[in-house]
Amino acid sequence: MPKSLLIVSRQAPWSGPSAREALDIVLAGGAFDLPIGLLFLDDGVFQLASKQDAKALQQKDLSANLQALPMFGVDELFVCGDSAAERGLAPSSLALEEVQALNAAEITALIDRYDQVITL
Amino acid sequence: MSTLHVLSHSPFGDDRLNSCLRLIGANDALLLTGDAVYALQPATAPFNALSARAPTLYVLAEDAQARALDIPADARAIDYPAFVELSLHYDKVNSWL
Repeated sequence: MPKSLLIVSRQAPWSGPSAREALDIVLAGGAFDLPIGLLFLDDGVFQLASKQDAKALQQKDLSANLQALPMFGVDELFVCGDSAAERGLAPSSLALEEVQALNAAEITALIDRYDQVITL
Repeated sequence: MSTLHVLSHSPFGDDRLNSCLRLIGANDALLLTGDAVYALQPATAPFNALSARAPTLYVLAEDAQARALDIPADARAIDYPAFVELSLHYDKVNSWL
């Protein structure tokens, strides 16, 4: 049984390569059938905002990659409810339907449950 | 399972410390390295948050020394060999990059 891996993505999508790199790790892990989870924390929740449009920035947003997660067998998707609330994002408005909102105690338990964790 | 949370960024103008303190579990520990040791600056918001949560706390001694910060009595000052031992003692290490 391969070790389970939790990726904690806590950077906004446009603040540098971290958000995309975290997602790349998750997609790669999913492609190799690793037990892998993804948690959006702090500014990372902004990756889940609906209707992002980076055409004028001449960049691609992450929405399409996020939608691919279930196709890659990644269905352990979580968002920190407090981080989303602090940033004015309602759980029902998020771009990823499958994502599950957790409170602090549930996140503590989540981190506990995985063998390894990478925070970017 | 236990987790060693490792912080290396200054807590001033960055919310890694606050988020970590919110999520840290009873069996976990926190290690301050690099600019994260600025959380030990007395009478500041990060110091108060740290004291209020009071996790098991380790501090990389040379980083605190370089920044003229005192290590509180309830924290343990460690060197790099002890850092390696700690990493092995806990089930996993979560480095807040």
